Amino acid sequence: MNALGFIFADSVDGALNELTEKRTLGAVPFGARYRVIDFLISNMANAGIRNIGIATTGKYDSLMHHVRSGAPWDLDRKRSRLTFLPPYASFNGGGTYENRLEALQYHLQYLKNFSEEYIIISGCSYVANIDFNKILEYHKSTGARITALYRNSRIHRQQELSVMEYKIGEDGRILDHRNAEILNEDRPLSINAYVMRLDDLIDLAERSMREGKHSFRRDLFFPMIDSGEKVMGYEVPGAVLYMDDLSTYLKNSLELLNKDVRDNLFHVDGRPILTNVKDSAPARYGDNAKVVNSLIADGTIIEGEVRNSIIFRGVRIGKDSVVENSVIMQESTIGDGVRLNYAVLDKNVIVQDCRMLSGYITHPFYMGVNEVI
Amino acid sequence: MIKRKKCVAMLLAGGQGSRLAPLTNSTAKPVVPFGGRYRIIDFPLSNCVNSGIDTVGVLTQYQPLELNDYLGIGTPWDMDLRFGGLHVLPPYQAANGSDWFKGTANAIYQNIKFIRQYNPEYVLILSGDHIYKMDYSIMLEEHIKNQADCTLAVIDVPLEEASRFGIMNTDEKGRVLEFEEKPKHPKSTQASMGVYIFSTEPLIHYLEEDEADPTSQNDFGKNIIPNMLRDGKRMYTHLFKGYWRDVGTLTSYWASNMDSLGDMPELWLNDPDWKIYYRHSFNHPQYVGEHADIRHSVCGEGNEIDGKIDHSVIFNNIDVEEGAEIRDSVIISNCQIKKGAKVEYAILDAGVIVDEGAVVGGPKEGGQLAVIGRNVHIGAGAVVKPGESVTEDREGV
Repeated sequence: MNALGFIFADSVDGALNELTEKRTLGAVPFGARYRVIDFLISNMANAGIRNIGIATTGKYDSLMHHVRSGAPWDLDRKRSRLTFLPPYASFNGGGTYENRLEALQYHLQYLKNFSEEYIIISGCSYVANIDFNKILEYHKSTGARITALYRNSRIHRQQELSVMEYKIGEDGRILDHRNAEILNEDRPLSINAYVMRLDDLIDLAERSMREGKHSFRRDLFFPMIDSGEKVMGYEVPGAVLYMDDLSTYLKNSLELLNKDVRDNLFHVDGRPILTNVKDSAPARYGDNAKVVNSLIADGTIIEGEVRNSIIFRGVRIGKDSVVENSVIMQESTIGDGVRLNYAVLDKNVIVQDCRMLSGYITHPFYMGVNEVI
Repeated sequence: MIKRKKCVAMLLAGGQGSRLAPLTNSTAKPVVPFGGRYRIIDFPLSNCVNSGIDTVGVLTQYQPLELNDYLGIGTPWDMDLRFGGLHVLPPYQAANGSDWFKGTANAIYQNIKFIRQYNPEYVLILSGDHIYKMDYSIMLEEHIKNQADCTLAVIDVPLEEASRFGIMNTDEKGRVLEFEEKPKHPKSTQASMGVYIFSTEPLIHYLEEDEADPTSQNDFGKNIIPNMLRDGKRMYTHLFKGYWRDVGTLTSYWASNMDSLGDMPELWLNDPDWKIYYRHSFNHPQYVGEHADIRHSVCGEGNEIDGKIDHSVIFNNIDVEEGAEIRDSVIISNCQIKKGAKVEYAILDAGVIVDEGAVVGGPKEGGQLAVIGRNVHIGAGAVVKPGESVTEDREGV
């Protein structure tokens, strides 16, 4: 595919409160064995994108540790490469960026390395299985300057960070934009992913740098829409799980128990979601195990009861414990006789015998990495 | 700069494994799936890498396509190295003729050049048909301490079973006095595991001598080891106390699979310090449905399970529909067990479809294993009796 991939592994689109205290959103574990960024990298790799840059601001060690050289996606090759673009200080700027156009300005040298005609830029706060080839074809066929991806969704409450709502014309053109209010019906909401020509982007980044402009949306994208340039919208079909706080994280996780969502994300021919591997043993069920409507990763040992939950790799659940409506991340240990309901347990926590912990779908009970109760 | 390896492993993976048929009808025994996600050969290869041995020659012969594919360049075991690593060694043509491997010793003889390339002090000989977790580095230390020419790993077997094995009679320091292949009246209970360490020079000497003997069967157990004993070479045993099973027959293969089940399994696969590495077949996590009831079992990835599973080993990408029941069975990847089907005391090879209401096998107590070959379709309502081995589609009723 004749496009470069560029991922913003930052917190510009929102942060998952406690989950992103020590890691960037892309590195948040999701779906029993993945990290959020796996979906985007897989989408790009599946489309035949051979070079991907990942711009990071802070807290990126967990992300780097997970993605490493890009080997699971065959991106550690001579002709195919994944490159981390961490912040660095230099005399003409650098350091961590606040706005995404800044990131592109910092990494102009990187962008200029490539002869690809197009570039796909995207934040990574959503999980979806996307056919980028189709999107690029659409972009070419419409002759748009920029094609912006959106999902059709509603918003139940006021967000801390603004979500962009588009007004889409009959021909698919983006006519207007505004900050979304609380919405009770599905509307086209931005997922902050765009397709455009690489040389155009380089040119725009250089020009805006000279003019002291740093925001992709405010200084480039919106003025284009307002001045009537051809900017197209593309609705990402199927499941798009967009995450901006702990509650949407839990809701989106439990969405995976819905067969349509699973089929949409995991059962698309030629578009597998890959991640790095751990060589775990298969999941082991004890004599009194009882598992219903749940996603179970490998390396788990289950001796208790699990309902409507997502259980990550290497988790142990003791006898007579009942886990419901919860997400338990890798290597965590649940003792005997424990009750968990609407809980999000981060990596490697220990819940000792007979503890009862409960939250609610809008306010999940959360335990941080390595915590013990 | 001259580089060398201290120890190189040679893994004999060319055997047909005919007693495992139909699982080995179209593939080599070392790549027969095991334990919900592994292949048999993952065990010796992981033992090697966990023991600090990173150079392995894998000798292939029978049905090598799937085996070669699985091994690749050894990446899953971290054996894709610049110097050393995993090398597949098939039989080859040479200027003075070509030969299949005539026996275990001949297979190594034909690859002396490979061994020389790494100039090792010691050569570890392994086979691809045992399930075990063993630290070869302890055995190697003993070998060096004893200044041995050859060290043979042994396990203690019950006296009544000893006549099925090659038995070592030793002195109190573990030096081998006598080796008896399947003795009628065993004098000891130390059975050879088919794991040998040789010092390189005596090994090559005896391989060459063996090759020059036209009456020889070119076999380690029958020729090389007796010859070395005859000449009074320093041969020692190394007593191994962990889990070890020969999975040469369908019943022993089934039993060893079952050893990975339970709350305190005999075959513990979750050991973070002794991982068994394997080649991944990217799947999503398994989904366990509303009507599922899974107990006393292990299950791999990519499954959609909505039926009842008890005391079984389930591999990857398997659909078990509502109302289906699986008990005391090994189900290898990509199988589908449809509504109301029953599978009991059976082994299903990859890609088997058991249609609605079909019955495969029967109660384990007093019964015999039913085995279904690769990609076989058992039609709706059809019956496969205990003890049957099915390799062709069976029509529904």
